[in-house]
Amino acid sequence: MASGWVERVSAFCGSPSRFLSGTSPEVFLAELLRELRDDRANYNVKVLLLSPLCEYPALLCPSDSVGEETALELMSIFAQSPLKFVHFRSQLLVALTCVLTCSPDASSRLRAFPDFLDLLLQLAQDTSDLHGDAAQRSLRATACDCLREMEALYPGLLSQRLELLGALRHQETSRLHQAYAGLQTLVLRNVVYLLTGEKEAGAAHLKALLGGNESVGWEADQNLGSASGKNTKPLSSVILTPMGTVPTLHTGPDCKELRSALSSLLEESYLFTPLSQAALLYRLTEVVAMVPAIPPTIFRAQLLRLLGTSEVSLLHTTLLMKSAFTDSLFSSEDEAFLLKRLVVFSQHPLLSTPEKLFYMDCILHFPENRPISCGDSDEALPVLLTPRLASALLPVVFNDSATLLARFNLLSLVYLEAGEEEDGRGLEYLYEHLTSLLRIVESGGKRESVVTFFRAVFLFLLHFHHVERYCDNLSQQLCQLYLQHTRFAPHLINLADQTQEKLPDSTWAFGLLKALQRVISQTPLSQVTLRDLSWHLKVLTRAAEEGGIPQHATLRFLSGVITPSLSSLTSSADWRLGNGILGVCRRLLVHPSLDSILIPLADVLQHLAGHYGDTDIRDHARLYYTLLTTLSREKLATVLAHHAEGGQQIKKRTLSCLMTEGEGLTSILTIHETEAAIFRLIETHCEQPEAKDLIQDETERGELETYRAQFGDPTFASQVTLKFLLTHTETRDARFDQLFSIRLHFSLTDDHYSELQDLSVPCLFRERPPPVVALALKPKEPHPTRLHVSAIFTTQDGLTWHTTLPDIHVCFQQIFLPLPAPLSWGQTGRQAVFAGLWEEISGETGECADSLFCCRLEEEALSALVEKHFLPFLVSDPAHKDQFRVLLFLPPQSHVLLKISSEEDAVHFNIATDRWQLLPHINDYLLKITAS
Amino acid sequence: MSLRALWIISPEKGEHASIRFSRRFATVELRAKRLAGSSYVAVPEDDCFLQLLLTELGLSGSKKPFVVKRDDCLYRPRSPAVELHVTGAGKGTLWPVLAISQAPLILACLPLVDASPEQRPPLSSLLSVSQGLSFLAGLQTFLLAPGSKQDGEGLVSRLALLPSVLLQVCPLGTPLELPLSGTLATPSAPTSAGIQKQPAWRTGLHRGRAVVNVSVVETVRSMQYGNRSRQDLWDVYGTVACKCEVEGVLPNVTVTLSLPPNGSPLQDVLVHPCVTSLDSSVLTASSVDSCDGSAFSGPYKFPFSPPLEPFILCSYTSQVPVPPILGSYQLKDEESQLHVSVVLKLHESVKNSFEYCEAHLPFYNRDQMGVVDVKVSSGQLDVSKEKNLLVWALGQKFPKTREVTMEGKILFSGPAPGPSEPLCTGLTAYIKLYFKVPDTTLSGCSVDQHSVQVYSSAKPRIVTSRELHSKDYRIWNSTVPLE
Repeated sequence: MASGWVERVSAFCGSPSRFLSGTSPEVFLAELLRELRDDRANYNVKVLLLSPLCEYPALLCPSDSVGEETALELMSIFAQSPLKFVHFRSQLLVALTCVLTCSPDASSRLRAFPDFLDLLLQLAQDTSDLHGDAAQRSLRATACDCLREMEALYPGLLSQRLELLGALRHQETSRLHQAYAGLQTLVLRNVVYLLTGEKEAGAAHLKALLGGNESVGWEADQNLGSASGKNTKPLSSVILTPMGTVPTLHTGPDCKELRSALSSLLEESYLFTPLSQAALLYRLTEVVAMVPAIPPTIFRAQLLRLLGTSEVSLLHTTLLMKSAFTDSLFSSEDEAFLLKRLVVFSQHPLLSTPEKLFYMDCILHFPENRPISCGDSDEALPVLLTPRLASALLPVVFNDSATLLARFNLLSLVYLEAGEEEDGRGLEYLYEHLTSLLRIVESGGKRESVVTFFRAVFLFLLHFHHVERYCDNLSQQLCQLYLQHTRFAPHLINLADQTQEKLPDSTWAFGLLKALQRVISQTPLSQVTLRDLSWHLKVLTRAAEEGGIPQHATLRFLSGVITPSLSSLTSSADWRLGNGILGVCRRLLVHPSLDSILIPLADVLQHLAGHYGDTDIRDHARLYYTLLTTLSREKLATVLAHHAEGGQQIKKRTLSCLMTEGEGLTSILTIHETEAAIFRLIETHCEQPEAKDLIQDETERGELETYRAQFGDPTFASQVTLKFLLTHTETRDARFDQLFSIRLHFSLTDDHYSELQDLSVPCLFRERPPPVVALALKPKEPHPTRLHVSAIFTTQDGLTWHTTLPDIHVCFQQIFLPLPAPLSWGQTGRQAVFAGLWEEISGETGECADSLFCCRLEEEALSALVEKHFLPFLVSDPAHKDQFRVLLFLPPQSHVLLKISSEEDAVHFNIATDRWQLLPHINDYLLKITAS
Repeated sequence: MSLRALWIISPEKGEHASIRFSRRFATVELRAKRLAGSSYVAVPEDDCFLQLLLTELGLSGSKKPFVVKRDDCLYRPRSPAVELHVTGAGKGTLWPVLAISQAPLILACLPLVDASPEQRPPLSSLLSVSQGLSFLAGLQTFLLAPGSKQDGEGLVSRLALLPSVLLQVCPLGTPLELPLSGTLATPSAPTSAGIQKQPAWRTGLHRGRAVVNVSVVETVRSMQYGNRSRQDLWDVYGTVACKCEVEGVLPNVTVTLSLPPNGSPLQDVLVHPCVTSLDSSVLTASSVDSCDGSAFSGPYKFPFSPPLEPFILCSYTSQVPVPPILGSYQLKDEESQLHVSVVLKLHESVKNSFEYCEAHLPFYNRDQMGVVDVKVSSGQLDVSKEKNLLVWALGQKFPKTREVTMEGKILFSGPAPGPSEPLCTGLTAYIKLYFKVPDTTLSGCSVDQHSVQVYSSAKPRIVTSRELHSKDYRIWNSTVPLE
């Protein structure tokens, strides 16, 4: 049992959607709670059972009412759990915090919320463990952390407890004082923040909340009540940007309560773990930033300790302090020192790579006392970072990729700033470094070093594309590299694409492509392998996209490739290869210099059309040839250029189907995804099943057997048909007003139904009446369910789209069917089946169950209710009002029988079913219909 | 300062990667949702996250030579924070995902960005990032701490402990402390209800004989090229490790480091957070600064209150004028054979008493070694089992001349090709030195037993030690210029 839970919980947490497709959140939640209540269950397993509630509370408690019930349940489990299971009790507090705060509606608070808050406060104050079991103390620590999290979610929630928290921290001598301090600091920060919004009385309120004066305190509580704890949005950091404005609380010079609270927290900060210490210092930084009456020098005493620290989070807090207070806390010597420190940290042999990278990022966003630039650009170098200082961060080939690139980027910025373009040693170093990387790649470096090399090249170009002597040389080196390793073609094309996009003014990419074209066309064909050739064709295709590159060399190369006397490359008549060649030709057809290459291009195409070994390639070549020789240049350009832009016209489709490797082809062949739902399915009422009690009864015996015998045919009464209208959603988009060939696909979210068939709808026009869609559901288990629906359709312009429709909810009552009795039967026969089934169910246990549902209803209301909801399923005579007998059939073979009668005090719904699992659903359904 | 989720992944070479542990912090996620408003991107389920992360880290689909998503040349800082592009229903960019990897695990977390959603703040302005990094590093130490069991089993049992460890150190997504490595933190014994507050990082009280152990360990790294155009490099860094078993809630200990007269100052001093105060002069010397002869050169006093477990009190770097062993390595192609010539000189200032000293000469991109006709003036020479490495064990002492040589020829005529390495092609090759010298430091830094002060009633036993060892100590062949 226990091991089963371990697997189930881990399956749930790994993929809730997959797990819940086999069950439902309600069922899983019910099972979890049942097991948690079970006294015999192992407490280690129980701790585990809480994790789904901690990780996915909103999924398991989708509504406030479920959340409420779950929370109450968990609180009662907490109250009953033995004190010695501290671990379980702690985890239970965490789960409760998650459940009680997960409400989908941010402003609503569950009714159990204040009770839980009281419980937490009570636990946090319970110091009875002082001399006793230290394990109990960890429960107190957890309670504090739960309170801290709730205050973070609802700022100001605990504002009125500020004094209490201060006192608790003060008294505590065990390690727990850290938990109180963390809580107190957060509450203090939130209070100060909230008070900045109150013009006049802010200072007095703060004083009161800190316990300066009790009588005023009471009054202040009342006032702050309106602003505090009602916040539904957690507060973001107040000192995130150096240029941002910080809200301020004007207290006047007299704020000794706040000052003393801050001093005492700072004094003890040394006693906290580095993580908590950093958080505390950061919160206090925020407070001091908001209260101008407190000078930042209050942090002075801590500073030296922080500047020397080896802890990344503590040093980071110091930087954030600097960002908040600049020269009111940090002298220019401090600034220089900090920057040097960061450079040291960025390459310190004892620090981990991620830490070093983080410090490098800190250098690029160094909070200067007097920043020159207005922080608009993402990365800015501090003025104090000289090439000399930065030389400690020169990249070397032994660096890992991330470090290497980060250093390369940083140094490039430094040299760019220093104006090193002309004769700088630094720039030379970077270029040499690039060459070293190239050597490694050349001699067979792994994929990672190849990628790193190309990224470094891109960085170099990004910063120094204007320094010709290096960039020209780089192109040459890359060409050499390409000849040795043609598999780098996609990297080079990607490099050309990216440089062209990021540096539109630079001609470097153009030069590279031109050089690549040259080296390819100069390669003796005897040395070209088939593998090389396919890469060459890719590069030539890309080069042919550049209007400025003359294409004679390319054509010479192509004609060499296809001439059997010169090369045997095309003897294989490989379709891919032919396609590659045609790809180049297609680009050439739209090349601006087409006039000058017309004849050689025609020759190549004609040769392909006549001699290539693959029919498809021959056909395509013939088409291109015809286009080239019959269309005027303008027409050709229009047809093909249009086509290259990507599909918007229907005409193109026919053309692009014939074109190889056309860009438009991709757009036509790709299925596009819609941004929002275009249409949806709305339930429509299916016609009532006909009443068939006209035929005379043959009152044979054994109606039940006869009835049962029908199920010998497995398809008998096995499905429920639901009807829907397919209609457009409100979002209007003219492209989608007329849709064709809609294919609806339904996918199940659980195992209770058989797979569903796709449905086709010929068309959907916004202006016409919506088509009706009939969906046949075949239950394996008759439970309510949800269906995902998606559709593929075509729009008028010939594009194919995929869209997701809103889910379909199949309610319990939608799977009700009238008793599938033989057509010849009348009412008596049905009544006999009812009686027979009722008797069987009452006598059996197993799957069968009976139950009673009561409610208050007037006689008339009852009749109306039966008429409205149960008429098709009524077995007894509708006129017979003292007892209604209702038989609900649920495919594939379940029955729910109801005897509804008005008793003295209430209406009784006697329920019998041969499937006990249906009882909760029946109950819900009856609750719903009797409530309305 | 909070984390939205945490993952522990076994990468298994990308293809069979799996998530060993994951935890989502629902309340922090809720805060993220409310802070980000319409720009909120939910944390995807584990499978989806794993694929996205591996692609971003360049670890996925190792068979395909080029995948744009993974290999695009556009530079974006990949680490320590990556961005993941979630597609499908909840599409958007997940940032900043922190990932640290150390075989056999990748640890990742997603810190909360507590800023207004309009503009992405710089990474360095989010405290949750450094907290996340610290926390991941702490978890990594905890999970990979050497145990008595086999490594795989140790990891499995520590992963199993993780839920209860997290309940203590990070119950609701806000890391409060780091898990204690090695053992599960047991709640401390109750302390006396004195007025002195117990530090949160001190898990209990020591009872019994007071012992203070201070050891200075220096590491020297070097790259020697034997080439005029390229300067030889070496650096030295030291750590001072302490283990203090001292009574009291907040005991006071002071350790003083001292340098010999004329010793160059300790630079880049970093201290453990338990150090209570620092003199600013201790921090002034920096390796990235011009060296100032008049700089403060000790004694370096570190007053602190020790945690119970062993810890690194401080670390430093030092600039020493010469490397401890200066080497020369020359390779020449002579008719299908390789002529090898090596000279190693031990500097006179270094104590000639090693725990071990070995020189490794690996050969890449060649066939296995066939005939090895090499003589050494001292020590013992072995050919590795794989026949691609010469191991020269120099023993405990260099000869009186403090110089050893190796000379000879190697014929690479083995039946199988040796390993390949893109850096070491042609005659590009190196010697790697491994050595350890007890009871010495290159900087001269030492801790005198009598300078360790412990303010307690019982007289403690004080043990101090020093040692020097090498790391990444390479001597490159000087007959080809290394690019």
